[in-house]
Amino acid sequence: MDSSNDEALDIIITNVVATFRTRCHLNLRTIALEGTNVIYKPEVGKVLMKLRKPMITASIWSSGKIICTGATSEDEAKLGARRLARCLQKLGFKVRFSAFKVVNVLAVCSMPFAVNLINFTKNNRPIASYEPELHPAATYRIKNLKATIQVFSTGSLTVTGISLLTRLNTHRHIKYLTPFYVQLRRHIGLRD
Amino acid sequence: MSSRVCRTCGGSDIDVDQARGSAVCTSCGSVLEDNIIVSEVQFVEGSGGVSSAVGQFVSADGPVKAPLLGSGFHTSVGKESRAQTLQNGKRQIQQLGSQLQLNQHCLDTAFNFFKLVVSKHLTRGRKTEHVIAACLYLVCRTEGTPHMLLDLSDLLQVNVYILGKTFLLLARELCINAPAIDPCLYIPRFAHMLEFGAKTHEVSMTALRLVQRMKRDWMHTGRRPSGLCGAALLVAARMHKFRRSVKDVIGVVKVCQTTLRKRLTEFEDTPTSQLTIDEFMRVDLEQECDPPSFTAAQHKAKMQQLEQELAKKLDEVEGQFLLPPFLFSDPEDNGEVLSMPSEPEEVESEDVELQAATHHLTEDFLCQVIQEEEGHGMKGDREAEPEKESMGPHRQAASLTSILGQLPSAASLIRNQALRLPSGDHPQSEELDLEGIDDQEIDKYILNEKEVQVKTELWMKQNAEYLKEQKGKKKKSKKQDQIEALTAGEAIERMLEKKKISSKINYDVLRDLNRGTGSPTRSPDHTPDTTVARKRLNRRRRRKTSDSNQDLAANTSIMGKRTVSVVTETETPAETESNPPPDSAAETSPTLPTAPSPMEEEEEEEEEAEEECVSALQLVGG
Repeated sequence: MDSSNDEALDIIITNVVATFRTRCHLNLRTIALEGTNVIYKPEVGKVLMKLRKPMITASIWSSGKIICTGATSEDEAKLGARRLARCLQKLGFKVRFSAFKVVNVLAVCSMPFAVNLINFTKNNRPIASYEPELHPAATYRIKNLKATIQVFSTGSLTVTGISLLTRLNTHRHIKYLTPFYVQLRRHIGLRD
Repeated sequence: MSSRVCRTCGGSDIDVDQARGSAVCTSCGSVLEDNIIVSEVQFVEGSGGVSSAVGQFVSADGPVKAPLLGSGFHTSVGKESRAQTLQNGKRQIQQLGSQLQLNQHCLDTAFNFFKLVVSKHLTRGRKTEHVIAACLYLVCRTEGTPHMLLDLSDLLQVNVYILGKTFLLLARELCINAPAIDPCLYIPRFAHMLEFGAKTHEVSMTALRLVQRMKRDWMHTGRRPSGLCGAALLVAARMHKFRRSVKDVIGVVKVCQTTLRKRLTEFEDTPTSQLTIDEFMRVDLEQECDPPSFTAAQHKAKMQQLEQELAKKLDEVEGQFLLPPFLFSDPEDNGEVLSMPSEPEEVESEDVELQAATHHLTEDFLCQVIQEEEGHGMKGDREAEPEKESMGPHRQAASLTSILGQLPSAASLIRNQALRLPSGDHPQSEELDLEGIDDQEIDKYILNEKEVQVKTELWMKQNAEYLKEQKGKKKKSKKQDQIEALTAGEAIERMLEKKKISSKINYDVLRDLNRGTGSPTRSPDHTPDTTVARKRLNRRRRRKTSDSNQDLAANTSIMGKRTVSVVTETETPAETESNPPPDSAAETSPTLPTAPSPMEEEEEEEEEAEEECVSALQLVGG
């Protein structure tokens, strides 16, 4: 059953977050005034720069730390980061590309059946938590894989974690959870 | 009494007499203990015949030091910080809890939670009010009281999600499994607030039934319980002929109008809504529904499928029209083909581009073909060239040239794309690997000079307020002076002039450590001291303090203290540099005039210390 489920399940990575350092001080005002597609937030102290080619948004701090979000794969994230560094180099800063690290990966998956969140949380007490007042999904934290899975009542899941980098791990997460879902399947034959 | 061994004979048979309070060895008769201390409660008769226990209760986690004076004397000085925290927490819990009308039992439980939290060091880095609110909410959940997190956030004027975060963390750390919220819990509370008068109970019951029905129909997973309650109460009110508008309900339940409407619509979609009021009260439909978001998602999926099918059909229909022009080479059928000029061209152009892109080496070949075509063109030769199947009829030549004109760009695109594929290993060095980065494109990200000017102006105008604020802040901090010193010792000295490191160090004693036999130098200090003792604001103490600072500097360097970077001090606006330094020491004079103000406070404090020290010295005979 697990293998057939794997084939049916479509796990799509939607967001990859990465950080890197430029090892030099950046003047945010220069970047803000001379770059296109930039938003300057002086209250927080950062500049948001958006690239088009890999659709990436980067938060740039004056210390030289940069966080890139919005890439759809690890390689894309690295490419986007390098482009950004190149862009900063052209603006006149002595940029050096160092300490590139992928920090978080978000993937989306959807089960073909709906889930009863209340029973689900009851059966998985300390690991799962559900607060309808705060968020419509139940959060399930897998400690050994260091991943968080948010389960919605429609059956869609979002999986977040660094260990998602290899596709194998993603599948492992889903495999881990499928038995639970099978327990909680609502036995109504209305699904297509 | 533990059985001990007798000291004289070594026998272990010891007789303990509680009445006399003595322990005697039975074998040799030696008295081991007299006046045994008893740990029993004693009672004393007070005035009016009331007997009370003697002694005080000392809590396990109370102050380590036993309360010194009597039972009624509560000193806050000398208590442990932990006890203070707990006391503070208890006070806040009582305050907040009474606002929520929680009973004492709940408040005590909340306090126990708080004690657990403090012992696990979870209060660090969090505002006490957030932690207390989370503890109270935890109690509300475990007891099942109809309090929402929203109420707490209302009272504290804090964002709900921040409180929620704290609450979730505490629940996880304390391993407390709060039972899930049941919307039924909130109904009586909201019904009461809506003022149904005598019929409140009936309306509540109806609303409860409605909510249970909603639960069966899977409307409540993933939704705020208050929204469901609002919808249920609205319907119940109408059923019992009370006129409650959407606005009233919203004010009580605290959800948005849109949400309420949505819930009502969803309920409308369930089969239960078709029943009449009487039927509803009597009958319970067996059938259950899917959650509304699930049905919506399925609906979407179906729509997408339909669209795809439509698109396919459209393609098929187009395909029927597309085939003939390729096969036709007769001039007579020109008319028919001309009726669809755009489509074949588009398709062909795509084909042509793709093919040219993949076989860009045949560019030359294409050019040759075009020339041939143009040569033939005047004659009206419509034959499709066999070499290139997609070349099509002659009248396409014009479009072809335009297409071929674009070829170089297509070719360059392909070239660029090939380069843009990420290469394997990136070098570990910190140098930026420029592979795969198109410089031209990056240049587009940078504005040229004119644009920069325009943007600068715009930005300055937009953020004028912020810039003003920054200027104001900078002015205050700019009064800091750069310390220029020749030696480290001097630097420390000057720094010490500006900033007093600790109020708990008696600098004078520190100074005297270094100056063992420096008594003659002290005498000139004494005379200014006495004058200063009378006039606190006399600034002529500068000399003394500079000396003291020299010694301090020496001491600190001896002790190997790390020099603290000079922190900017806010200058009191009233300070002026009117008092010239009486000091003749050249080195210290340039810096001194600029630092009269911070010294003032030091002077005053040092004065007092100085006075005490003087007396001590006098006593010692130094």
